[in-house]
Amino acid sequence: MKKFFHNVFFREILKGLKLTFSHYFVKDITLQYPHEKTSLPDTFRGALCLLRYDENETERCVGCDLCEAACPSGCISVVSAEKLESGDVVRYATDFDIDITKCVFCGFCVEACPVNALAMTKSYEYSTNNKRSLIFDKAKLYEIGDHRHVEAKGYLVAHDQEGEEETVSEYRYRFPYYQKQEPVPEPEKST
Amino acid sequence: MAVEVTPEEKPKEENSLPLLRKEELLLNLGPQHPSTHGVLKVIVTLEGEKVVKSEPVLGFLHRGVEKLAESVTYNQFIPHTDRLDYVCAMYNNFAYVRAVEKLLDITVPWRTEYLRTIVAEVQRIIGHLFWLGTQALDIGAMTVFFFTFRDREDLLDLFTELCGARLTTSWYRVGGVERDFTQKFVDDLSKFLVTFDEKIDEYDTLLINNRIWLARTKNIAVISGEDAVAFGLSGPTLRGSGVDYDLRKVSPYGAYDHVEWTVPLGTKGDTYDRYWIRMEEMKESAKIIKQCLAQLPSGPFKADIPQVVAPPKEQVFTDMDSMIYQFKLYTQGFKAPKGDIYCGTEAHKGELGFYIVSQGEGKPYRLKIRAPSFVHMGAFDFMAKGYMIADIITIFGTYDIVMGECDR
Amino acid sequence: MSTVGKSVPVAEGEELKMATLTIDGQEVVVEEGSSLFNAVKSIGVKLPAMCYHYSFSPFGSCGICLVEVEGKKNNVRACTAKSLDGMVVHTDTEEMTDARKKAVEKHLLTHPLDCPVCDADGQCELQDMTYDLGVYDIKKGKARKDIPEDNRSLVLGFNMERCIRCGLCINVCKEVQLVDALCFYKENKNTLVGAHGGGTLFCEFCGDCLTVCPVGAIVNKFSKYSYKPWQTKKTRTTCNYCSDGCQLTLETKDQTIVQVASDLSWETKFGLDVGPGDGHGGICVRGRFGYRYVESKKRLSHALMKVDGQLTEVPWYKALVLMAKQLNDIKKNYGGKAIAGLIGGRCTNEAVFLFQRLMRSILDSNNIDTSARYGHMNSVLAMQQALGVGRSTTSYEQIALSDVILLVGSNITETNPIAALRLKKAKTDFNAKIIVAERWKTKMMALATHPLQLACDSEAIFLQGLVKAIITTKCAYKPFVEKYLEAYKAIESAVSDLSEEDISEGCGLPWEKIVEAAESLAQSKRGTLIWGEGVVSQQGGYENVQRLIDLAFLSGLYEKEGAGLQPICEEANEQGAVDMGAVPEFLPGQISYQNEAERQRFASAWHSTLPTPEEHQSGLSLPEMIEAAHRGEIKALYIVGENPVGSLPASFKVKEAFEKIDLIICQDPFLTESGVLSDFVLPAATFAENEGSMTNMAGVVHRVSEAIEPKVEAKPDWKVFSDLSRALGHSLQFRSSEEIYQEINKIVPGYFRQKLPSVQYDSYLKKDFVAELPARYRALSAKKTGDYALRLEQGLYHSGKLSTHDEGLMAIDDKALLSIGEADAEVLAISSGGQLRLKTDLGDLDVAVEVKAELPSGVVSFPIHFNHPAVKDLLEVTTDKMSRVVYTRQGDVSLELDPAQALKVLPHETHGGEKKLDIEQN
Repeated sequence: MKKFFHNVFFREILKGLKLTFSHYFVKDITLQYPHEKTSLPDTFRGALCLLRYDENETERCVGCDLCEAACPSGCISVVSAEKLESGDVVRYATDFDIDITKCVFCGFCVEACPVNALAMTKSYEYSTNNKRSLIFDKAKLYEIGDHRHVEAKGYLVAHDQEGEEETVSEYRYRFPYYQKQEPVPEPEKST
Repeated sequence: MAVEVTPEEKPKEENSLPLLRKEELLLNLGPQHPSTHGVLKVIVTLEGEKVVKSEPVLGFLHRGVEKLAESVTYNQFIPHTDRLDYVCAMYNNFAYVRAVEKLLDITVPWRTEYLRTIVAEVQRIIGHLFWLGTQALDIGAMTVFFFTFRDREDLLDLFTELCGARLTTSWYRVGGVERDFTQKFVDDLSKFLVTFDEKIDEYDTLLINNRIWLARTKNIAVISGEDAVAFGLSGPTLRGSGVDYDLRKVSPYGAYDHVEWTVPLGTKGDTYDRYWIRMEEMKESAKIIKQCLAQLPSGPFKADIPQVVAPPKEQVFTDMDSMIYQFKLYTQGFKAPKGDIYCGTEAHKGELGFYIVSQGEGKPYRLKIRAPSFVHMGAFDFMAKGYMIADIITIFGTYDIVMGECDR
Repeated sequence: MSTVGKSVPVAEGEELKMATLTIDGQEVVVEEGSSLFNAVKSIGVKLPAMCYHYSFSPFGSCGICLVEVEGKKNNVRACTAKSLDGMVVHTDTEEMTDARKKAVEKHLLTHPLDCPVCDADGQCELQDMTYDLGVYDIKKGKARKDIPEDNRSLVLGFNMERCIRCGLCINVCKEVQLVDALCFYKENKNTLVGAHGGGTLFCEFCGDCLTVCPVGAIVNKFSKYSYKPWQTKKTRTTCNYCSDGCQLTLETKDQTIVQVASDLSWETKFGLDVGPGDGHGGICVRGRFGYRYVESKKRLSHALMKVDGQLTEVPWYKALVLMAKQLNDIKKNYGGKAIAGLIGGRCTNEAVFLFQRLMRSILDSNNIDTSARYGHMNSVLAMQQALGVGRSTTSYEQIALSDVILLVGSNITETNPIAALRLKKAKTDFNAKIIVAERWKTKMMALATHPLQLACDSEAIFLQGLVKAIITTKCAYKPFVEKYLEAYKAIESAVSDLSEEDISEGCGLPWEKIVEAAESLAQSKRGTLIWGEGVVSQQGGYENVQRLIDLAFLSGLYEKEGAGLQPICEEANEQGAVDMGAVPEFLPGQISYQNEAERQRFASAWHSTLPTPEEHQSGLSLPEMIEAAHRGEIKALYIVGENPVGSLPASFKVKEAFEKIDLIICQDPFLTESGVLSDFVLPAATFAENEGSMTNMAGVVHRVSEAIEPKVEAKPDWKVFSDLSRALGHSLQFRSSEEIYQEINKIVPGYFRQKLPSVQYDSYLKKDFVAELPARYRALSAKKTGDYALRLEQGLYHSGKLSTHDEGLMAIDDKALLSIGEADAEVLAISSGGQLRLKTDLGDLDVAVEVKAELPSGVVSFPIHFNHPAVKDLLEVTTDKMSRVVYTRQGDVSLELDPAQALKVLPHETHGGEKKLDIEQN
């Protein structure tokens, strides 16, 4: 009998409707993107960037290609060379390109980097109608790194890559130049 | 119903164009259909509205993941597993790293097992919520979708907090996990679990007695226990038919044998039973998570096997051996012993298995993925036969199919 | 030396003492006193070791190859321990693993954290060892010592921070190369590796030290930081420079060659499948560091056509169509005789084969020649005549296992450094007698057991002397004398007129020394006779080769097993070019072109007719082509990878001849001197961009594989011929080099399997031999004029003109200096860096001078590779009447001191007993 009434009056449907209507009075949980944005945790894996050392603004990257080897999608390409920098021989990356169209944002490159030169930022809005601009070159990566320095540092700390203090500074891959000879700058490597 | 063709209606002249009348109607469903959960095409043979035969055409989302695995190191394949069942990346990661660990014959610390179990069960809840929302949406109940996705979003935020991405998590690593829980993660998760029961009540309010829901799910796509086993079904699809087979119980892994939980079983093997099982499993998952959080042991979250697990970063900066392991692991990967291994894991869709053949190199010689979605599609024709065309969508849904995993 | 070669019997009367050991429960019998490491290796256990290499004696510095010997308290280093009878050895106990870990840890503690910036990272034995043994949780390492990287050398950098002091580099240099350029030295309490006395390293730059270095301590400056081992694609191919046919591995990254690797490396240290006569797998400076010409900016990128006297770029199809039209017109109007073709000795067998087929079957011309005409044809024709086989009758393995080696007229360490290693190996490993007869005090002569320094131009007299010495001492090979008594008598009577004194005086050697050399060769068990450009590229080369063959008859080198003859040719595929029929005398497979039946066979196989030869001349050879062109008889000349203007002396005469030719097509990777005069210049692919095969001087065919794609519009030679044939209206229809390979296989059966006719000299000895002898053994006199003899010589760092396009090799050696002996320098009162004026009838030229101790008086020498200054243009071409070989490298000059211009000479360092000069031009 009760069941009959339930069937006639669509009781279970009404109950459902009641629940639905009650949500008119619940605070919004949606955000009006792009006017509002979520706050992202430090761990967020966004656009990659290259970092410099804090103390003297020199590039951390030594062009060791380990990120290239670690990358599961093969989107990184590094070309390295040698240069003289204030009397020291330094290996550095002449080119550092990340093809963002291929990048899977797994963060393996950051984990691999032996000098913590790479980090991820919270930047995720770089859609464009020019696909070529999605190949981030060295300049662009440093630009992101300089601009989003705090986020990048936060990422490294959050992912146990670096302590709050800059521990990587102990070892800087700067080698003394051989003094017995007149320093002759290396000829430019053809790329 | 099919129109009976009487002899009188047949064309009079043999030479003139025959009147094209057939009893059966061939219908292409998909591949671009919103409810095919990816790009699935089904060639349905209809007799009126009744399905006579349905032939799923797979492979629209084939990306050659198995072949790809042969060219990347074991660790590098983890992000690729994210993209199998792309709504439940964590469980794919879990299944994969478990297979590799079995191949390498290594064990992980207890804390890692607990961390993995918790996240896996969170992923199971996410998976079932996702399924519930989309299944209800496919059937016509839109509100459920909003409610489940609201709660799923809370959990995905937890994942972002944990590993930095909502879906492409890559959090599991061979020999451990990428990152330990933070206090914030534990707190947020606990908070979620407190209110989760109420939320399940909300879904129940909307569905459990809803007559449309019942009409669309009760006695639809019935499969008996024997048939289900014969078709190799697994997960809720199998347990809906009353077969008590859950890998977490049968061959326990993670921390599953350290917590109290039950395997819900269906009786009739219809779509409703499978729905009910998923609802129950969510509750069980919540139970497992709660217990795991309570028991969570302290200790390292990565195994101390330098030949497999990359060293902590701060050591790489200072120790020669760590530096070498870092380079060896990221350039050549760890060398797995020669042999082959199959390891199945109970993902929320069913048994997700990885079969790896190793030739003793840093890369798999062959990697085969036993994707539950793919195996379930084998039973599709059998289960859809005799039902109405409108039920086809429900039957897709009842498997919780994701084409990324199915086509690989 | 290692005991790998122990299977070769030691000297007679000596008996090997064997010892029985038990290693891991297995019984092993080895030579007593041999290295325990080798005994362990023989049961298949690869003991980890960083300082071991099979090619030289154990050093024992790394301390990792530890084993447990029962009855010994401490662990034993297997490499330096001696195998003794009754030893019980355990290799895989827990303690041993721990001890080895400790040993590796010791290296790790002092090793810098250089992996990110080290080129060896990824191919580093220390990394492998650490990973494989599972060394971890080590103590905190020491801080960097900050030893600066020694980058003074041209090619190699020494980063001693990374060095583990294993000594592999020093040992390979000392014991395999016998160069001994490296040593340990102390500086600021650090042990460093470098040149003796810590000076700047200048050595042969073979780079073996670089490849055996298990870590990144020795750095290749040419490819420093440009790659990591895991990024490179490795292609195994054959070296393109000299005729040794060394196997290289080109490592490429993104279509750029970043490094050339050899079979020798620390990774092949166990040498498990290395036989006693096998080489060590290394390559020389040219192969290892001369790869950059492939990337040269001077490479031709597009086809060029002469329009109004200017070479302008044209599309390929246009060039091909226009060329084909002109060729067809010439063929129609003047016949095939007016067309001539030249192909270089660096083209693949497939390209040469297709070229001669194009010339013969389509263009109806048998005027084909190759760079073997600069000398090697002497060997080919003389051996073909006497033996029926125009190639080496021995192999590299046999050379290494020889007991007596006679080397005549070859500066083998410079021209063929890897073949020279076989001689070094024969000497050091198997105590062979090395007899070196040369005008110079070459490096090989310094190592020889019997150095015989000949007077200038006395090779012929010396060879006559050797034959006479065998006759007079009656030590000729008995079976030969018995079997061919008539021939032996003929030789006996032919040499009877020669006087020992004249010979001795003529070649500047005491008669006893000649007798000693002749006796050792005649009595040898596995004697080898090697001759090079000093014999074949000097006047009378053909007769000299015949004399050498006589010598081989008398010493029984054809009968004795393991003995043989080895002519040395210059370019990589000279032998192959002759074998593939790119000479008028031969069809492919060294079949005489005069042979009517064979010609018909080829004609029917090619569905064509072949030009009918005249009775005594099948077709024009290189010198005859130039003469014919002078007479206006040649209307079209197709030059492939060859450069007559750049190679032939008195090039103005060649240029004159070229001006009378209507159509010249030049196909080369670079724009050569001949190319400038051409109507069409076609860009050719280099060896790295080519598929095919090459035949080395020992007759072994090696594969050439494509490592990178041809640059811009360059095409492999075979492709150009194939395309041109289509344009000519007779398509040859080859789509790949592989298809040509198949055709060669069909038409010259067995060529690629080295199953070719064996040596046959019966008919020769019974027929022509006796008649020829008197002329061959006429009394010769060493001519004496007031002039200096000028020789154009090959050097170590260059090979032909090709290497002068390579910036790497040019960085090592770009000094076009006239070498002069010390005595002459004193007479002329000139020192290194001064200028001398060379004078001949053709003109005069100022050349900078370098004084060298090796040179005898009366001889000056100039590197053949450099055309600036154009020393070769002072010389005259002479042609051998018998073999039509052009002699381009010799002539007489007078020298005058020109003090007006002098070069600034930097004070030079002396090390290793050698004087090296750094000359900086103002």
